[in-house]
Amino acid sequence: MQGWVRTSRVLALAEHDSNHALFVFMSSRMPPLLFSDLAIERVLPIDADFRCEIDTDSKHQDGVDVYVNISSHKLKLLFEMVPGIKTSNFVGEIFRAIEVFTKRRGPPPEFQWLHKYAVGAGSLSNSGSGSSWSGMDNPSRGLMEPGIDGVTGQDESLTDALLESPEISVPRQSIAKGATPIAARESVIKYQMAMKEQHYTYTQVLRVFVGTWNVNGQPPTVGLSEWLAQDPEPPDIYAIGFQELDLSKEAFLFNDTPREEEWQEAVLNGLHKKARYHKVALVRLVGMMLLVFVQEQHAAYVRAVATETVGTGIMGKMGNKGGVGVRFDLHSTSLCFVNSHLAAHVEEYERRNQDYHDICSRMSFTRFLPPKGIKDHDQVYWLGDLNYRITELDPWLVKDYIDKGNYLPLLEYDQLHQQHGLKNVFAGYQEGNVTFRPTYKYDPGSDNWDSSEKNRAPAWCDRVLWKGDGITQITYRSHPELRISDHKPVSSLFDSQIRVIDAVKYRRIHEEVMKKLDKLENEFLPQVMVDNTEVIFDTIHYLESQIRDLIIANTGQVPVTFEFIKKLDDSSYCKDWLNIEPYSGFIMPGEKCDIKLEVFVDKKSAFKLNSGEDKLYDILVLHLEGGKDIFITVTGTYERSCFGSSIEALVFISVPVREIPVGRLMELENAKEVSSTQDPYPIPKEIWFLVDHLYRHGLKQPHLFEQPGLNSELLQIRNWLDNGSPDPMPGSIHSVAEALLLLLESTAEPVIPYNLHSICLSAASNYLQCKQIVMQLPEHRKNVFLYLCAFLQEVLCHVNENGLDSKTVATLFGTIFLRDPPRSRGDLSSRARMNQQVLDRKKANFVYHFLVNDQSDFILGR
Amino acid sequence: MAREYDHLFKLLIIGDSGVGKSSLLLRFADNTFSGSYITTIGVDFKIRTIEIEGEKVKLQIWDTAGQERFRTITSTYYRGTHGVIVVYDVTSGDSFANVKRWLHEIEQNCDVVNRILVGNKNDAPDRKVVLTEDAQRFADQMGIQLFETSAKDNINVEEMFMAITRQVLRTKKERKERQAIQNNDTVNLRKGPKQNKRKCC
Repeated sequence: MQGWVRTSRVLALAEHDSNHALFVFMSSRMPPLLFSDLAIERVLPIDADFRCEIDTDSKHQDGVDVYVNISSHKLKLLFEMVPGIKTSNFVGEIFRAIEVFTKRRGPPPEFQWLHKYAVGAGSLSNSGSGSSWSGMDNPSRGLMEPGIDGVTGQDESLTDALLESPEISVPRQSIAKGATPIAARESVIKYQMAMKEQHYTYTQVLRVFVGTWNVNGQPPTVGLSEWLAQDPEPPDIYAIGFQELDLSKEAFLFNDTPREEEWQEAVLNGLHKKARYHKVALVRLVGMMLLVFVQEQHAAYVRAVATETVGTGIMGKMGNKGGVGVRFDLHSTSLCFVNSHLAAHVEEYERRNQDYHDICSRMSFTRFLPPKGIKDHDQVYWLGDLNYRITELDPWLVKDYIDKGNYLPLLEYDQLHQQHGLKNVFAGYQEGNVTFRPTYKYDPGSDNWDSSEKNRAPAWCDRVLWKGDGITQITYRSHPELRISDHKPVSSLFDSQIRVIDAVKYRRIHEEVMKKLDKLENEFLPQVMVDNTEVIFDTIHYLESQIRDLIIANTGQVPVTFEFIKKLDDSSYCKDWLNIEPYSGFIMPGEKCDIKLEVFVDKKSAFKLNSGEDKLYDILVLHLEGGKDIFITVTGTYERSCFGSSIEALVFISVPVREIPVGRLMELENAKEVSSTQDPYPIPKEIWFLVDHLYRHGLKQPHLFEQPGLNSELLQIRNWLDNGSPDPMPGSIHSVAEALLLLLESTAEPVIPYNLHSICLSAASNYLQCKQIVMQLPEHRKNVFLYLCAFLQEVLCHVNENGLDSKTVATLFGTIFLRDPPRSRGDLSSRARMNQQVLDRKKANFVYHFLVNDQSDFILGR
Repeated sequence: MAREYDHLFKLLIIGDSGVGKSSLLLRFADNTFSGSYITTIGVDFKIRTIEIEGEKVKLQIWDTAGQERFRTITSTYYRGTHGVIVVYDVTSGDSFANVKRWLHEIEQNCDVVNRILVGNKNDAPDRKVVLTEDAQRFADQMGIQLFETSAKDNINVEEMFMAITRQVLRTKKERKERQAIQNNDTVNLRKGPKQNKRKCC
């Protein structure tokens, strides 16, 4: 993620002479296929400043992503990784590399081997030269983690800008192409808030008291206020360490001692009286004990307290030597205090170095995931009996210097001074100037140097060091007034800058980040412009299509998937007289899609428009996936026609259909009982015109009714019928025949109404019954039926010429006279299709009776 | 991954054409205002995340076309709505008179839903025709909260959206509590000695 969006990075862990570095690559394609795809973005040496944390806030919810925070010096990176074996192996290797670093000896490495990979070096040429590239050879399986989504700044120069202001512009182009998804919201917020930390935190300076005393197994028989509360103002934080609290075998073997309670009591009594203190933690390992207090006012801001012990004594494990630690967060700053008692004896300084390193690598606060080490803290205070001595000088000479208060030459011979200078121990830590007498070794109860046979040289065994930003040492001193031990206690005061969150500012900035994200999210909603939301058609005629174009332009930032969707109760996304092509599609940003809207009124929709049940009016809902809906209104005027008019209406119309007012036509269509001044025709004149034309010119026409007509001629015939004309009927016989069929098919109900449909089918095998039914048909329908049957009988008289047969004609007219009710239409399951064949046969049977039997009695009988 | 929000609510803005529904949304979601009138032909939404009482609430706010001819279609968008914002224009008596119809529309299409009445364009006193007292009396009668806002001058917009969101949140919590009490009556017996909640209530 860069700023607000996710971008892909490839990570690689490289090793060179047991030193590791993390390489962050940009790749021109994901996953990368060639070395030339990769360009080094940055190289992070795994050194003392390198930190890696798995995001512990995420409660493994759904395990969607793993967040890994990596920081190196001032740079903070957040990586979103796909959970799985590969990721955990890779992160595991990073931790191992960190461990290797912390356990190493000698001065810190300088990582000169990384210089040649200077940032911005471009594509990686050849990585030979002795470094081993973990898994570089096989990006898909090795330690490389392809497909990682990294949160990084752009390059070194941009990184500072990033830290100053995270307003990095979004690479819209790549988002638009769908290549760069917006990063998961929560991780953006986390990242943005981390980047803006300085805007909502301020520094509060707290006084920290750090004290250490080797009490040589003595009980607390003296008050400690001379050590702990010597200053006028009370410290905010106390960290008080003891060594050799109890030298008994029981303490050593069972780690149990009454002294813990006794000394804690003594400490509580000795704390500064001007403030009330809250105990943060007490940790003890055999004789090493560390107590941490904060003033009560700070207690509420102490979080994530953890303690840990490391034994480095006998067998490298026992607790007679080693260290104990307390860590906690105070406001936004993490603090760690370590009290250690390192190996004794003058010549054992290397052993002491070793103990220090062991404590560093083994002290691990395991309540965190991954566990935090000492170095993973903003501020570290290290105190204790470090046991470093003054060597190579005659004890008498040493004492002489001390008596003169001339410590500087002595410090040259102080082992800690020497080893620290060589960076063999406490690398990165600071110690203040030692201006007090050596604190070891005295005759207990006095200020006299050790008078035993050993006559040990005095030494600064007891020390305080620190590491981290914002720490200022105020005092560094010893307290010779406390004489019960062979050591003198040491204390140091610090001013420590603690980052405090300003709740009001935090909320405001958090809100800003959220708003910005909301804005972004809104901007990334699909957006289109439709050139016309009111599509108006000209007058629409039956069977004549009209097309209008619509342009959908993607004006947003993201690809759009659109679809015309159904309205609430509708069965289709548009009326059946409308066709939308395409009705769904995909448009890239900046591109357009042409939509064709075609209005075509045919036999299925004509009668509804004729009767006014339906209008040429529809509202289409254009839906953008994941976005808005746009309403598009389609309107037009329908020119009514005899096609789609009912038999009942047509018989009352003596003039061409177009000559009567629309209102009168609707009235005729909708009225149950038609009142008319004029007698109706027995059958619609349009049927008569068509049949008469066929009777005169088409009886001998081969394939009559079987061959389709021409659409253009159908339109001419439609006009001839609707407008009336003195000219002869236009069009070929086949077109006239089709016009007849269409006229019969376009009505709201077939000649034999739907309510008789099933009765007819069940009676189909019985001629008498069929006759009965026909007798009961409404008069005009009966007329039409018999008239057409008589005509068809005539047609069948000319089978020699026209080649028709009665079965075929019966089947054709069966489906027309007994059109299926609309319900069963469109049901295309195989069973329904089988049934359909049976039904069609029955319909044919029904009609067949009337084609082969003499109907004269019928007609005469009326 | 941590949760993006604690609650996701769908709000719907309805009211006559031209009363400023889209402007209110634009002001709230993007903090912008455009003087030029573009009639909404369809339904559109924007999101905004707010924090109420320490909880993250993501609002998906739907803006509907106000034109009469779209009324049947827009009513289908009422489904799943947590709160409805009924907007009129304080400079248009007609738009206020139509509020009743809009409230009726809500009744027809939603089960239980929080409502709020909003008189927008409350920034030109000389053109104001719907008096606050009249609107307030009507709102009291209907038992709904009234806000007079101006999307143009950014008056009361934030407050209004916060108010409806608070209502929705309260309704949700009350329902949860009721369910918890019901569950206490039935399930808890089996679950054994859990804390008796009735005592503390």
